[in-house]
Amino acid sequence: MKASQVKVCVLRIEGTNCEEESFAAFKRLGTKPEKVHLKQLTGADVSHEEKRDLSDYQILVLPGGFSAGDYVRAGAIFAARMKSKLSKDLIEFIRARKPVIGICNGFQILVETGLLPAMSGVMSEVPEAVLGTNDSGRFECRPTLLRKVNRDSCVFTAKISPDKVSLIPSAHAEGKLMFPLDRSKKIVRELEDNDQIVFKYVDPEGNLAVYPWCPNGSTDNIAGICNREGNVFGLMPHPERVFFRFTHPDWTRAPDGPGDGRAVFESVLEYVTKRL
Amino acid sequence: MSTDRLYTRRDVPFELVEIDLEDASDSDLMELSRESGTALSLEEIKRIRDFFKQKGRRPTDVEFQSLGQAWSEHCCYKSSKIYLKQYIFGINTRQVIDRGDAGVMEFDKDHAYALRIESHNHPSAVEPYGGAATGIGGIIRDVLCMGAQPIALVDPLFFGPLDYPFEKLPAGIKHPKYLFGGIVAGIRDYGNRVGIPTVSGGVWFDESYVGNCLVNVGCVGIGEKKNLRKNAVRGPGDVLVLVGGRTGRDGIHGVTFASAVLTKESETESRGAVQLGDPIMKEPVIHALLEANEKGYVNGMKDLGGGGLSCVVGEIALAGGCGAEVDLSKVPLKEEGLAPWEIWVSESQERMMLSVSPKNVDEVLHVFRLWDVPATPIGKVTPEKSVRLFFHGEKVFDLELEFLTAGPEYCRPCSAERTGSKKKEKTPQIKAKYDKELMKLLGSANVCNKEWVIRQYDHEVRANTVIKPLQGKLGHSSHGDAAVIKPVEDSFRGLAITTASNPFAVGIDPYRGGKTCVDEMCRNLVSVGARPHSFTNCLNFGNPEKPDRLWLFREAVRGMGEVAKALNLPSPSGNVSFYNEAPSGAVLPTPSLLGCGIVRDIRKCVTSDLKKEGNAIALIGATGPEMGASQYYRITKSHSSRIPDVDIPALKAGMEVVLGGIERSAIVSCHDISDGGLAVALAEMCIGGDFGAEVDVSKMEKLRSDVRLFSEANSRWLVELKRGKEKQLPKDRKTKVVRLGTVGGHSLKIGAGKKLVDSDIDKLAESFNSTLWRLVG
Repeated sequence: MKASQVKVCVLRIEGTNCEEESFAAFKRLGTKPEKVHLKQLTGADVSHEEKRDLSDYQILVLPGGFSAGDYVRAGAIFAARMKSKLSKDLIEFIRARKPVIGICNGFQILVETGLLPAMSGVMSEVPEAVLGTNDSGRFECRPTLLRKVNRDSCVFTAKISPDKVSLIPSAHAEGKLMFPLDRSKKIVRELEDNDQIVFKYVDPEGNLAVYPWCPNGSTDNIAGICNREGNVFGLMPHPERVFFRFTHPDWTRAPDGPGDGRAVFESVLEYVTKRL
Repeated sequence: MSTDRLYTRRDVPFELVEIDLEDASDSDLMELSRESGTALSLEEIKRIRDFFKQKGRRPTDVEFQSLGQAWSEHCCYKSSKIYLKQYIFGINTRQVIDRGDAGVMEFDKDHAYALRIESHNHPSAVEPYGGAATGIGGIIRDVLCMGAQPIALVDPLFFGPLDYPFEKLPAGIKHPKYLFGGIVAGIRDYGNRVGIPTVSGGVWFDESYVGNCLVNVGCVGIGEKKNLRKNAVRGPGDVLVLVGGRTGRDGIHGVTFASAVLTKESETESRGAVQLGDPIMKEPVIHALLEANEKGYVNGMKDLGGGGLSCVVGEIALAGGCGAEVDLSKVPLKEEGLAPWEIWVSESQERMMLSVSPKNVDEVLHVFRLWDVPATPIGKVTPEKSVRLFFHGEKVFDLELEFLTAGPEYCRPCSAERTGSKKKEKTPQIKAKYDKELMKLLGSANVCNKEWVIRQYDHEVRANTVIKPLQGKLGHSSHGDAAVIKPVEDSFRGLAITTASNPFAVGIDPYRGGKTCVDEMCRNLVSVGARPHSFTNCLNFGNPEKPDRLWLFREAVRGMGEVAKALNLPSPSGNVSFYNEAPSGAVLPTPSLLGCGIVRDIRKCVTSDLKKEGNAIALIGATGPEMGASQYYRITKSHSSRIPDVDIPALKAGMEVVLGGIERSAIVSCHDISDGGLAVALAEMCIGGDFGAEVDVSKMEKLRSDVRLFSEANSRWLVELKRGKEKQLPKDRKTKVVRLGTVGGHSLKIGAGKKLVDSDIDKLAESFNSTLWRLVG
């Protein structure tokens, strides 16, 4: 499949607000992205021409933002709407090994829907993890450094070399990944064994570090995880914000080369073009 | 005294009252003004009385309320217009594309940008979280209704000292720390949710803001020129479609509340004047509105701000040379039982008015339905220039627009010069070393790192912020002078955005202070490599009915206008906020400016942090003994009435030298010299770059050492020059360039024959970074 044939569904509802930059990243790589409202997939209030079918797309993107205001719990409302109307399509999409990425609010939605960490099966009945309020108790927008710890399962990071530290900025209030406290250690070990941990927050030397390098107090400094098959990926930081070098926070000190986030989009595109 | 006898209830199944003005005495009329919350003056009510006498009927409460809104200071600028016309409005109008709810300027051949800043002071003083949040909502709508996508927010904020003693707090006044926390949270939660980056701003602290904090909010948007719209109907037959939030009792009398002095009763009496915001209604409104507009379905649109429907219907119709007929019973309500006058003047948030051709109405409604945003046709445009309102079939309002919108314009008495006694000059003691003073300045509330605030705002959403508000090596941030947005996908052209204000200078000398604000705004834009292009201003002053307060206003506007005119900088929009007074007195006269500049190629932009060991550091611009209003005088409790003036030819020359140096890549970092002077500017550059510097100030003008270090003289920059490219810096005999020293080591060393400052960068950083965290505790 050629890049120009790859259709990317950038899914949104009210309050999704990072769709433009997610759309732009995929467009820049020559694919065919489309901003699609959830109602266009479920068929409510839309005309025949506006109706879309998830199975027509090769990649699904859940962008960042504050879907439905995050008023109940981050991502919960979007997840509930998706789960009630779109579960079957989603499960089919994922079973077909098509890639799904959730960035920031999108990650929260994937966790709330049960699509991550998805320790057993494609979608868990109830959420198996939560993205809790940052230890600082606040929304924080700051540069973060991520070390790739995934061995080779995740299709979104194949083009990033092992242990490479990438600058991918964060901007969230609820990004502390947590598991049931009594089983947290065991679950983390299982995620490691399954090669489901993708990125960890580190300091400039590449070492696991506390705040502010870890902006939220996440369990084991985990910034992003994938499902067992590696085709569903969620992370709190925003790779689409550093697609270009000139949106790095310190680019004037080293202006050359692509942005660190670009490799995420290139990786998944390579996967899709080779495999599908 | 009762005015009950003046009201006659009309026999209809809802609340509708006619008011008998003819038989009312003067004191009745004033009581009526107070009771109705309209804040009309006696003279103004008499004008209304005469008008209705001629018509041979009595006004309804709907009509009376409507006039109160339309004629308020907030809506018709009755005290300020005369000076704004004289000094600001006429500057370089040729470049202004439109002057609507926001000003519109050209960005490139196909695109235009829209800008506006306004105040949300009184609501925020009473209800900080909601007041600030709805301020953001309102300013976004102003930009949106020009047909532009909002791309950046800015928020200059002014508070009393965060450590202000509780026992000194006047009755009914909230503590600055509470206001600060609530307002920052309000901006954060609204701005972040709606997905527009907050890229610039500032926080100022002074005792004068204890009784009346200032919350200014600005927004910049971008749009294709072909999608720009006027705030006007196209013609008779257009359907008026109200979109967005429902209408309720919140925000009734917001504009009249904004046009009066705060009192200790404001809390209880005016809470209802504060609107309630809903960013998750606004966010889809932006999508739906821009989509409907891009598809060509919208003839004109306007935001419902101050005065609600009562202002928007008349204004949008009249701007198209028409009138309108509206059925108020069609307006979607938050709750049942609102009287027609309440619906008419409510300032409920997230609402916009679209003027749509009948054939496109269904299409518009469909677009909004997808986003679950209410959209309702409520009326139509008529050829005759009047507004008629119906409520459940009953005509409740019938006024000629020429009368409704012909708000008074005053030439109020204004002092000829400063009144009151002059404060005595006091000069600080000369010292051998100034490390302590530098440390204290860096740690003072007005100078210190505002990271605590900035990081709570998403300044990168939309992924177009190429120069960010915090700059420096990873983990070592310092303030930048301006942010730069790259708004058009396939172009490297950038839009620089900055905020400038200096209430301390304006307070001592409003004319020079006004000039200083414009100078600072230009310095900030130039520092990142942008050529100043336009600005918008929010002028926060006291009660204009007091001649001394009005004098401050006039002088500040005169000063601003003088520099802006010399630089040919148009101001296509603006906002005046008077009555910023509490019983304890007026706030410092505070113009806050939002400046926009054009960057030809964002890849050439520079930041304020030092880049490389061995590079040279130079000072551009002349320094004089103008220490009045300086932060150094503030911390040493000194005083001088001589505040920095602006030498316009030198400012222009300095701008060209810096812009040329950046264009030729000779300048690799640049910081304007403002609060705290040269020493603070250099320390900030060191902190951001995590480098030391060694400089010698003896080649500067012959001045006291502390003046050399801490003077806030205008039109000056510090630049770091790339090794081997020093000679590429353009020369101009109208400004000075002084080579000061080099980047290197890990201490800031400043000398002039002898050592004046020798401080470790980590220690300076500690003082700079920890203050706000400590104060907000």
